[in-house]
Amino acid sequence: MILDPILDLFRGKAITIPPLDGAFRPDTRLDELPAVAGLPAADNLVWAEGRLLASTGAMVVAPGRTDDPVAEFPAEITAMAVAADGRLVVATDDGRLSLGGVDLPLSGGLGCITALAFGPDGALWLANGSARHPASGWVVDLMEGGMTGSVWRWTVEAGFHQVASGLGWPYGLLPDASGVVVAESWRHRLIRLESGRLTPVLTGLPAYPARLAPAKGGGAWLALFAPRTRLIEFVLQENAYRRDMMTEVPREFWIAPALSSGRRFLEPLQCGGIRVMGIHKPWSPSRSYGLVARLDAAFQPVESLHSRANGRRHGVTSVVDTPEGLFIAAKGGDAVLRQDG
Amino acid sequence: MNFRERLQAWRYNLVPDHIIGEILQKRWTDNAIPFLALVVVVAAFGHAIPGFFGLDALQDSTRQLGEFILVVIGLTVVMLGGGIDLSVGAIFALGAFAAVACFFIFHLPVWVAWLAALGVGMLFGAANGYLVGYLRLRAFLTTLVTLIIGRAVYEILVVNFGVLVQLSDATSETWDFIGDGEALGLSVSMLAALALSVVVHIVLTRSRPGWHLLAVGGSRRSAHNAGIKVRSTVFYSYVFSGACAGSAGFLIAARLSGAGPNTGQGLEILALTASVVGGNSLGGGRGSVVKGLMGAVIVLVMTNGLIRLGYGTGSTQMVLGLLLAAAVTLDIRWLKNRHKVLNEVYVAPVYLALGEAPSALPGSGTPCALNNRLAQAEAIGLGDLEGPEDVILDRDDHLYCGTRHGEIVRFLAPDYTRSEVFAHVGGFPLGLTFDRDGNLLSCVGAMGLYSVSPDRKVTQLTAETRRSLTSIQDDARLRDPNDLDIAPDGKVYFTDSTKRYDAHDWMLDSIENRATGRLLVYDPATGTTRTLLDGYRYTNGVCLSHDGQSVLFCESWACRVHRYWIAGPRAGRVECVIRDMPGYPDNINRASDGSYWMAWLGMRTPAFDLSLRHPAMRKRMARRLPQDEWLFPNINTGGVVKFTDDGQITATWGDLGGESHAMVTSMREHKGYLYIGGILNNRIGRIRIEGADPTWDANTAYWGPRR
Repeated sequence: MILDPILDLFRGKAITIPPLDGAFRPDTRLDELPAVAGLPAADNLVWAEGRLLASTGAMVVAPGRTDDPVAEFPAEITAMAVAADGRLVVATDDGRLSLGGVDLPLSGGLGCITALAFGPDGALWLANGSARHPASGWVVDLMEGGMTGSVWRWTVEAGFHQVASGLGWPYGLLPDASGVVVAESWRHRLIRLESGRLTPVLTGLPAYPARLAPAKGGGAWLALFAPRTRLIEFVLQENAYRRDMMTEVPREFWIAPALSSGRRFLEPLQCGGIRVMGIHKPWSPSRSYGLVARLDAAFQPVESLHSRANGRRHGVTSVVDTPEGLFIAAKGGDAVLRQDG
Repeated sequence: MNFRERLQAWRYNLVPDHIIGEILQKRWTDNAIPFLALVVVVAAFGHAIPGFFGLDALQDSTRQLGEFILVVIGLTVVMLGGGIDLSVGAIFALGAFAAVACFFIFHLPVWVAWLAALGVGMLFGAANGYLVGYLRLRAFLTTLVTLIIGRAVYEILVVNFGVLVQLSDATSETWDFIGDGEALGLSVSMLAALALSVVVHIVLTRSRPGWHLLAVGGSRRSAHNAGIKVRSTVFYSYVFSGACAGSAGFLIAARLSGAGPNTGQGLEILALTASVVGGNSLGGGRGSVVKGLMGAVIVLVMTNGLIRLGYGTGSTQMVLGLLLAAAVTLDIRWLKNRHKVLNEVYVAPVYLALGEAPSALPGSGTPCALNNRLAQAEAIGLGDLEGPEDVILDRDDHLYCGTRHGEIVRFLAPDYTRSEVFAHVGGFPLGLTFDRDGNLLSCVGAMGLYSVSPDRKVTQLTAETRRSLTSIQDDARLRDPNDLDIAPDGKVYFTDSTKRYDAHDWMLDSIENRATGRLLVYDPATGTTRTLLDGYRYTNGVCLSHDGQSVLFCESWACRVHRYWIAGPRAGRVECVIRDMPGYPDNINRASDGSYWMAWLGMRTPAFDLSLRHPAMRKRMARRLPQDEWLFPNINTGGVVKFTDDGQITATWGDLGGESHAMVTSMREHKGYLYIGGILNNRIGRIRIEGADPTWDANTAYWGPRR
């Protein structure tokens, strides 16, 4: 309508989100994949010396091989990576970083490590989600509109060095010889940091991106941990309601993205999510979703794997492409999945 | 409650926002803009020109107005039928000449002159109608051609015979009276215009030809499919327009006693502008005579006023052109966007702070704590059934339920594997109950209170109550009759959940949360329906108490159960029995042990409860998000609750996984089993009740043993 631009001033613009289309066309592949292991809150996956390691809570385990933990930490593991020499670097929710079992003293402001990755030159890249909250407080950071994340680089010689700041929850890192590609969750995009410059490489994602991993044959895999919904985007603009929600409503029942949803009746429900004639519509709006995208060398999506609103493999936070296949950690679905090939 | 919240509560509970939406739903709001324009134009020119509405000036302009209105009415009728008539100016002029010629040249009586004018008009109208209606030519081009030819004929005639008219010595008192006289203080032309307006208005709104015309204008194809003779309807609309224009020509001939070269020049533009400015749709099907009248007054006052103010013909035409452009734009934009505007403003949420509820979480230790018992219910009619809102059993143990297809389905005892359609009612049968004689009474969503006799005869008992004095939208009609029960004296107590939304839009009502639910009583002895209580937030389940002294009913969106006394010392009073439950209550029915069963259609969630205290947020949500994205009460988990006469909840059953009974809207105890229905479910559940009387049957409890 011609009057829309004027009326928008009074009523606000209609809220839209990118559709799941093109390379993001929905399927049910995540739900169909076999699980390597059921693992509560399976999070970061790494491929270390010919075996898969996964973090779950405060433990590192080798899913499908042994039930005994490979390593244990005092607090929940928020990120991990493997160095070229096989040493495991692990960040925990209490703000500590351990390299090969030895605590690495952290620089100030680094207390929310969400992703770790080693560059080809052996430098360690760190994604610091927020300056205000620990990694487990991600949903608070989003609801507060947190744009306080940063990306750091560490070498033995030079120590910690901040590469970029003011980011909206950096959650994935893919370093190469000249720089690093970062998944910036709250801005639904991938950016490239190179010699002090920030360039967006993929914007307008339909979900909140999480960790990145190199793909066999070039390109990358991107895990997307929660969907964007119009209601959540709306609540992010409704300051009074959001403020009251954050003070009065328990965190797991907020109108906010989640790793899993629909399990408790106190969670918010959207009209489309109503179960009708025994059917939960797969296309209905949902606070959680399972999504993994394959990106080409230019970081454009080429295909994706989904677990839709009625699926269970939600909240995918990590992917690793190995000689034994593609492993996917569905943190909300409490499972590690494997795709051959 | 902080200041901001208090402000919101005042703002949204005291300012009646919902009125805007209700007014916009009225058809007459289409007249609002032309009427406003009329008032503005009349006021502006009355103010600018002293004496503009003086007696003499009015007398003169009303004669002109009367003729003009005749033409506009004719054109309006054609436009309502989906056409357009550009030839009215030419027909008007030819009508005038025909009258003048008869009277002055041939010295014929006045009535013959009138008939001649009328005949000429109808002839040209018939030509238009034949070409447009039967030969299906384009109305615009066809009438343009008639305009050109008619105009040419007129000019030839005036040039050749104009002198004869001027030289004639014919006089007649009748002729002078029609031209100059007055009756009842009005000129003849004005009287004719008013009379015709009344007749045409009645024909259009209250007669078959009028409805046919509007139907043809609204949609030719649909009208044709409905069996309306589209072609002849169109034909007669042009004939009528021609007749009107011809008669108007006769009147001007009498007024001017002659016909000049300028008679009727540009009249089609004026008439078209008047008709459209009045609010008649160019596309047809939408409009009225009143709109035409308003448009005629606006246009004539403007043109005369501008001339009186000293503006030339060019400026007047320019103003008319701009007026027409504005009206056409408004007409099209409004027609296209009316429903959008309505959608955006209709939902008008109010403020409600619900009290803290006892926890329903499993293991919380409260009587409201949900367990997983309903998940074990065996399924009846799984996959065959859609939407059994309520379930009931008769004395022979047959099981009845309504479906969303408007049917009442009967499952046959003893195993309930065979089913049949017991009766087709239409609408959406919701609450069910048996009366003393075994008739099955049902509240049918969107229809009213119905009765189905044992031999399957469907009768409407009531569909309306008395309209309340302050209603804008007609609230006499029952929009969402929901549940019912029958007192020992035969009176039927039932709820109508909302006045604001139709039955299938009950979800919108939960977002709005406005208290418009009613408790009503239907008296079969007198056949009358009375509103007992009004102003509850979605009245839903109804159940007669075991002692027959009161009626229990619940208020879904406020999570409360109330008692209305129908007998005893407190008769007519109402009291709250349970408040602030953790679930949204639905149907209520008797239990065998002297307590009551109540369904919870869904559970409160902290996020939605909070949104009830943020009406502004809900309003924006309703405007800016599609309905599927709206925040909603959690109706994916419901339950069955047992409570006592004094409002104590004693047991709560649920289905936490939501696989078999996600949303529960009803339950009925019968011979030791509980039968469970859900409006969005595809089955009826059946579950044994431990310790229940295996012989208890509600029919016996209500009406005594079988007679």
